[in-house]
Amino acid sequence: TCRVSMSLAEIRAAFTAIKANIQARDPIRTLSILSHPHSLHKVKSADRCCITHQLLTFYVDKVFKHCRTEDSFVNRKISSIANSFLSARRRLGQCHEQNNCMCGEESTEKFKQILANYEELNVTSAAMKSLGELDILLDWMDKSR
Amino acid sequence: SGELYCSLPNPRNVRFESVNMKNVLHWLAPEGTGDGVLYKVKYAVYGVGKWIRKPECRNINRTWCDLSSETSDYEEQYYASVKAFLNGTCSDWMETTRFNPLTDTKIDPPMVSVSSTDRSISIILTAPEKWKGSPEEDSISLLQVYPGLQYNVSVLNKKTKKRWLFSISNNTLVVPWLEPGTAYCVSAQIHVTTPLLDSGFSKEYCITTLKDK
Amino acid sequence: LPAPQSISILSTNMKHFLTWSPVIVQGATVRYSVEFQGEYEREYTNGSWIPISECSLTTATLCNITEDISATVAYKLRVRAQLGATSSPWATTKGFFSPAMTSLTPPELRVVADGHHVLVELADMGSSFQFRVLYWRKGQESRVQQKVMKGLSSVVHLDTVEAGAEYCVKAQTHVEAINRSSSFSPTQCVRAQGDTSMWLVTAL
Repeated sequence: TCRVSMSLAEIRAAFTAIKANIQARDPIRTLSILSHPHSLHKVKSADRCCITHQLLTFYVDKVFKHCRTEDSFVNRKISSIANSFLSARRRLGQCHEQNNCMCGEESTEKFKQILANYEELNVTSAAMKSLGELDILLDWMDKSR
Repeated sequence: SGELYCSLPNPRNVRFESVNMKNVLHWLAPEGTGDGVLYKVKYAVYGVGKWIRKPECRNINRTWCDLSSETSDYEEQYYASVKAFLNGTCSDWMETTRFNPLTDTKIDPPMVSVSSTDRSISIILTAPEKWKGSPEEDSISLLQVYPGLQYNVSVLNKKTKKRWLFSISNNTLVVPWLEPGTAYCVSAQIHVTTPLLDSGFSKEYCITTLKDK
Repeated sequence: LPAPQSISILSTNMKHFLTWSPVIVQGATVRYSVEFQGEYEREYTNGSWIPISECSLTTATLCNITEDISATVAYKLRVRAQLGATSSPWATTKGFFSPAMTSLTPPELRVVADGHHVLVELADMGSSFQFRVLYWRKGQESRVQQKVMKGLSSVVHLDTVEAGAEYCVKAQTHVEAINRSSSFSPTQCVRAQGDTSMWLVTAL
């Protein structure tokens, strides 16, 4: 199986430092990118590696670059998180290439729902909401380690 | 919501205060209002479409409302909101920031029980339980909520005034080869690395090893 | 205004600093500004640079970049001089820097024997560090025991050992994020006092 070697503690510390700032920029209570209608916590263990790889890719490709703010401190923390995700995705990518990180039907479906949630908003709002939900992702990654 | 124009100042500092996932909404009365202000409360699960009223916190004059049972699923995140009323006028709804029970709760120190022989002390630690609605409900230890939970145990030799620290994952610790007839004081703390959560140290439990036979 | 020269990165135990030579302008105070660029910025945001506010318009020729250089990717850094409205060209680090290139020094270790108990004191080096402590009874070098400890800032109990025997201890640091360890600290040996000496003391 693939183990995501990623210092979650450091990423959490960076996110905790900007969480209130980022979440305050997301006024929409009625939509979640990651937790509704499907909760990450319901992902089967066999699908975890694939969902993790897809989510790392999602954040690297679609989220961080649309989250630049007027606040230099926030931008530095986002850069720290983004580069940590890039590093983690590379390591998990090697595992993915060795076919140890298979994507089942359910995980593909679940990830489609996440993308559908993302596409319901304009790019900046969707990216900021996704960034504000990073603790949902980290909580799930913590639990499933 | 039926109130046409709300000119009352808003409740202030609306926030969750959470210990062992007993999640209580707190706020401060609107500035400059004396007695007689009443409040109502609503909450929402983040990502779900609707606000839900809390009947037990409707027209209350206290400035807190226990939302523990409404926010007991710690895999969800929540918002809560408060509105004030006085003499026919009202305030705006004032919301909390997004509340994540898993990362935003505080943890109590563990319970510590100590016993001794002439040469050793045995320490048993019990992590606090997650809040539950009624005694009949099944208890959930915070150990189940935070699998990476560890204990830091401090043992103080009252004679030499030396303090030792132990860092353990299981909940029992036996310290052998101690001095007979000596007082040792034990206190313990819970340490969770990620999310980073530390309890305070418990109060000290002192015990004296038996005298040499 | 010439660009700063001899810019370099000093990195020890996951603390990273950018340094450069001062730009000398007679009778004037030259200030400097530092920016960084991670792999993410190169690949996903058109090579954008991010200013480090603590090192913007600073008169120092040193900048603590630890907080920003936090992921295990290749970073570039640059610094320029500023005098009033005039700015020098940017001076950019020649190759890349990654936290994995930091130099790790052995931990400072103090070993104490207290009765049958061997304790160690290790200076806390931050949350990204673990300590790997090896200990053995002198003369039984083949039967080494190991304990891995997280950040510490007090006297930690290592083990309870046989009376009167001499025990030796050494330690190294390990940083999981970069999967590297320091060399070992010098070995320290202590003798655990035994009952006889304890009894003698009591008898006296």
